[in-house]
Amino acid sequence: MSEHVSSRGNAPSQGPLREILEVWRPFFGRLAFGMILSLAAVAAGLALMANAGARLSGMALGAGLAFYGLRAIGLGRIILRYAERLYTHDVTFRALAALRVWFFRQLARGAAAGLGFRRTGDLLTRLVSDIETLDNLYLRLAIPLAGAVITLPILMWVGLTTGPAIGIVVVILFILAAFVAPYVAARATRPSGELILTRESALRESALDLAQGLREARAFGAERMLARAVTQRQERLFAAQRTRAGQLALAGGFSYLIGQIALIAVVLSALGLGLPRTSPLATIALLFLTVAAFESVSGLVRAGVLAGEVSHAAQRIVEIAHEAPAAKGTAPLPSGTALALEHVTFRWAADRAPVFDDLSLTIAPGERLAIIGPSGAGKSSLAALLLKAAAPQSGRILLDGVDIAALDDDALRSRVAWLSQHTHLFADTIRRNLTLGRPDMSDDALFAALDRAAVGDVVRSLPEGLDTWLGEGGMTLSGGQGRRIALARTLLSDAPILILDEPATGLDAETERAFLTTLYETTTGRTVLLIAHRLTGAERLDKVWLLQNGHLAAQPV
Amino acid sequence: MMLGLCGSVMALGQAYALAESLADALLHRGNATHAIMMFAFFAFIRAGLTYAQERAAAAAGIRARRSLRERVLGRITGEGPALLRRQHSAEIAAVLVDRIEALDSYFSRWVPASVLWIASPAIILIGVATRNIDAALVLAVCGFVVPVAQAVFGIGAGVASRNQFQALTRLQSRFLDRIRGIATIVLSGAAEREAEALAEAADELRRRTMRILRVAFLSSAAIDAAMVIAIVAIVISQGRTLLVLAETGTTDVEAVASALFALLLVPEFFAPLRSLALAYQDRAQAANAAEAMQDLGPEASIPEPAQPVRARAGLSVTLRDVAFSWDEKRGPTLEHIDVKIPAGQTLILTGPSGSGKSTLIEMLLGFIRPDHGQILFDTTDLATLQPRDIATASAWVGQRPMLFAATVRENILFARPDATDAELRAAVSAAALDRVIELLPQGLDTHLGEGGFGLSGGQAQRVAIARAFLKDAPLLLLDEPTAHLDPETEAEILVTLHTLAAGRTVILCGHSAATRGFGGQVLELSHGRMSELRAVA
Repeated sequence: MSEHVSSRGNAPSQGPLREILEVWRPFFGRLAFGMILSLAAVAAGLALMANAGARLSGMALGAGLAFYGLRAIGLGRIILRYAERLYTHDVTFRALAALRVWFFRQLARGAAAGLGFRRTGDLLTRLVSDIETLDNLYLRLAIPLAGAVITLPILMWVGLTTGPAIGIVVVILFILAAFVAPYVAARATRPSGELILTRESALRESALDLAQGLREARAFGAERMLARAVTQRQERLFAAQRTRAGQLALAGGFSYLIGQIALIAVVLSALGLGLPRTSPLATIALLFLTVAAFESVSGLVRAGVLAGEVSHAAQRIVEIAHEAPAAKGTAPLPSGTALALEHVTFRWAADRAPVFDDLSLTIAPGERLAIIGPSGAGKSSLAALLLKAAAPQSGRILLDGVDIAALDDDALRSRVAWLSQHTHLFADTIRRNLTLGRPDMSDDALFAALDRAAVGDVVRSLPEGLDTWLGEGGMTLSGGQGRRIALARTLLSDAPILILDEPATGLDAETERAFLTTLYETTTGRTVLLIAHRLTGAERLDKVWLLQNGHLAAQPV
Repeated sequence: MMLGLCGSVMALGQAYALAESLADALLHRGNATHAIMMFAFFAFIRAGLTYAQERAAAAAGIRARRSLRERVLGRITGEGPALLRRQHSAEIAAVLVDRIEALDSYFSRWVPASVLWIASPAIILIGVATRNIDAALVLAVCGFVVPVAQAVFGIGAGVASRNQFQALTRLQSRFLDRIRGIATIVLSGAAEREAEALAEAADELRRRTMRILRVAFLSSAAIDAAMVIAIVAIVISQGRTLLVLAETGTTDVEAVASALFALLLVPEFFAPLRSLALAYQDRAQAANAAEAMQDLGPEASIPEPAQPVRARAGLSVTLRDVAFSWDEKRGPTLEHIDVKIPAGQTLILTGPSGSGKSTLIEMLLGFIRPDHGQILFDTTDLATLQPRDIATASAWVGQRPMLFAATVRENILFARPDATDAELRAAVSAAALDRVIELLPQGLDTHLGEGGFGLSGGQAQRVAIARAFLKDAPLLLLDEPTAHLDPETEAEILVTLHTLAAGRTVILCGHSAATRGFGGQVLELSHGRMSELRAVA
C-alpha cells in the first residue's frame, strides 16, 4: 500500500474538489434546480427593495401608482425564499449522505488488512465533521456566488442607466465585495482552515482515548491525566477558532464597509457632489437596489474565510480514496476450490525477515489440513495471503489454477471464510453479528451454528435470545463466549474453504475436543485449514504441516 | 450585548442621515454634506462595533465551552467504567466533543439574540416614533406577530431537534464500530450491505434534519412576511400622505425624509428578530445536550490521581457472601461468594467462560459494587473507599490492555506519571519489555497507533505488566492475562508475572496452564457459585 500513501498531501487543491463533484454527479440536476430557485429569490428581493424605494420617492414627487406589483413581488419573495432554503438544504444533505457512503466504500476497499496506523477518531472526524464542512461549498459559496453573478448585470444596467459615473463606481465596488474580497480572504486564511480541522480531529482522538480507557483510568487512578490530554487539545483548537473568529469578524466588517461606501457614492451622485448629478428618482431606486445587492453578497467574504476549511476538508476526505489499492482483479471466479501456493515469498515490510521463503503448497478440494508452528512463524500471514489481505512479493497463489491476484476481491472472499485472531464483534444484536446483514437466515440455522461453536445454550439462556444486544466489543458476554459467537459467524458462512485461526480460544479443554470432533462431520466436502499452535489429537485431519523459519515440513497425522 | 444595542443606535443615526440627504437630493434643497459626513461616521463606528461584538461573542462561546467540557469530563470520569456498560465509547466521545462544540452557536448566537430581540427593535421603534408615528405603528403591529409565530413553530422545532441529534449520534457510533471491525466486514463480504445500511442511517439523519429546518425556516419566513407587509404598508400609508402633499404643492423635506427614514429602518427593525429565529433551534439543541450530559452520570469532579505507595507485604482481601447481577432478567452473575485471601497469598479463580470470574475482578477494582455482601481490604469495607483509594491499593492486568494513542513511554507512565526515569527503566526491564523496545524505531518514544497497533498481543501485555511493576501496589489483579497469547509467549509472560506477584496479594483468573506455578487457594466458579475451594502448593 505504500506507493499509494506517497500520493497524499501534495495533491493540488483543485483535485479533491473535482473528485467530490464527481461523487455528486447524480445530484447535479437537483443542485442546479436549487440554484435556480435561489436566483429567483434573489431577483425578487432586489425587485422588492428597488420598487419600494422608487414608489415612495415617486409619490413624493406626485406620481400615483397601483401597489399590486409590489405585493406580488413581496409575496413571491417570501415563498421563493422559503422554497429555496428548504430545497437547497435538502439537496445538500442528500449530497453529503452520498459522500459518506462513498467514503465508507473507499475505506472498505483498502481495509482488508485492518486500519493500521489510521486512527478511528480521525476517520470519524473525516466522515462526520469534514463532510459536514462541505455543506459550505454549495450553501455558502456556490449559491451566493451564483446570486452575485446574476445581481451584477442587474446592478450594472440600473446603475448605468442612472448615470455612467455612478454606475461604474457601484459596479466596481460590487465586484470588490462579491468576488475580489472573498478570493483574497480565501487565500489569506487557508492555513487556519487546516489547523481547525486537524486540531478538532486531535481532540476527538483524545476524547475517544478517554472514553475507551475509562477502565484503565479508574484502575490506575489516572483520570486526570487523560482529562488533561483532552483539555490541552481543546485549548489548541480554541486558539485556532479564536484566530478564525477574528478573521471572520474582519471579513464581515470589511464587506459591510464596502456596502456603505457604495451607498455614500450613490447619495453623493444624487446630490451632485463629486460625481455627476443624476436624476433623483432613478438614484433612489438605485440606492435601495444597492442596499439589497450588497446585503445579498454580505456573506461571501466570510464564506471566503471558510473556503480554506472546505478545501482542506475535501482533501482529507479524498485522501482516503488515494490510500486504497488501485489494482483490483476482474477475472471470473473459477468453479473449483483447489488451492496452490507456488514459490511464494512474503514479508510484511522490506526491513523485516521473510515470513515465507519460496513456499510451495497444494491443498486439494475438501482436504482438511492443519498448519502448526510457534508464534510468529507466519501461520496467520498465510490466511492473509489467501484472502488477499496481503500480497506476496514473488510467487503465485492459485485458486483452481487461476492466480488470485487476477480475481475480484469480493468474489474470492465469498469462497473463503476466515476466523481470524482479530475478528471483531459489533455493537449490535447477536443475530446481526451472526448474519452481518444477510437477510436469509433462519433462527434454526443460527442456533445450529451457535451449538457447533458450543455457545448455543448460553444464547438460549438469555432472556432476549438472539436479539440480545452485545454491546461494544461484545461487552455483555464474557471474553470466551464472545469469541465463540465469532466462531459461529464463520461456521455460518457457506464458503467452500474455511480458515480457522485458533478456533478453540476461549473453550475449555473438554469443549475444545468436542468442537474439533464435530467440526469434521459438519464440514463435509469443504476445505478446512486449521491454524493452531498445537493439536489436541481430536482433529481428524488429512495432513499436518509444521511451519518454521519460512518453510513447511510435513508432520505425521 | 451592549455592543449590539449601540449598533442599533448607530443604525438609527445612519438611517436619519441617509434619509435627510436623500430628501435633500429629491427636492433639490439645502446642502447635505453635513448629513453625508454623519452617515459615514456612523457607518465606521458601526463596523467597529460589529467587529468587536463578533469577537466578544466568539470569546464568550469559547469560555462557556471550556467550563462545560470541564464539567462533562467530571461526569464521565466520576461515573467511570460503569458508563461503558450503558453507552458506546463513541457516544461518550460525541457528547464530549461534538455536543459541546455544537453548543457554540447557543452561547455565541442564542444568548445575545435572546436579549437583543426585544431591546434592539424597541430602540429602533422609539427612533422611528420620534419622527414618524404612523410608520412606527405599522412596525409595532408587524413586529408583534413575530413572537407569536416563534411560540407556535418553536415547540415543533425543539422536539425535532432532539431526534436529529440522536440520529447523528447513532450514525457516529455505528460508523466508529464498523470502522473498528472493517477488516471483519470486508473479509466477510459484508461491505456492500454495510454501505447500504450506512446510506440508510445517513438518509435518516437528512430526514430528521429537514424536519427541523422545515419548521425553523417557516418561522423565518413568518418574519420575512412581517417585514414585507411592513414595507408595503409603510410605502402605501406614507405614499398617500406624500401624494396629498405633492398634489397640494406643500411637499417639504421633513415629510419625505421621515418617510424614507422609516423605510430604511424596516430591515434594521427585523434583523434582531431574524437572528432570534435563526438561533431558536440552538436553544432546543442546548436543552437536549444538557439531557445527554445528565445521562452520563451525576455531576462530579475528576477523581484525584492515585498516590501509589510502596508495596506493603500485601493486603488481605475478604469476600463475605457476595452477590452480583448485571441484569435482573438474566439472574445473578455471582452468588454466595465467601473467601479470604491472607496478605501476600494468591487466589486462583477458575471455571468455564461466563462463570463470573471477570465480574469478580471488576468488583475488586471497584468498577461495580456487590448487590449483597461485603468486600474487605484488610478491615476496610470497599464500599467506604473512594475510587482513588482502591486505585492506590491495586494494580490490574486484564485480557487485552488498552494502549493509548501515545508513545510507549507515556503508555507506561500512565500508571504513575511522576515516576523517575530510573524507575521507568526498572519497570521496563522487569516486564522484559526492553528487548521489545530495542526493536522499535524510536525506542520508548515510538508512537503507537490507536489500540496499540504496532505491538503484538504479547508485547502489549508486557506494557500492561510494566505499568503494574511501575505502580508497585500491594494487591495484584490478573484477569486471564495470557488468554490471547500462544503457549510460548504465554510461558514467557508467566515468568514475568511470577516476579511481579512476589510479595503481593494476587487474585488471578485463568485456565490450568496459565496458573501453574502460582501457589495458594484455587476457587472454582460454576454459574456464579463456588463449586470448589482447595489449596494447591
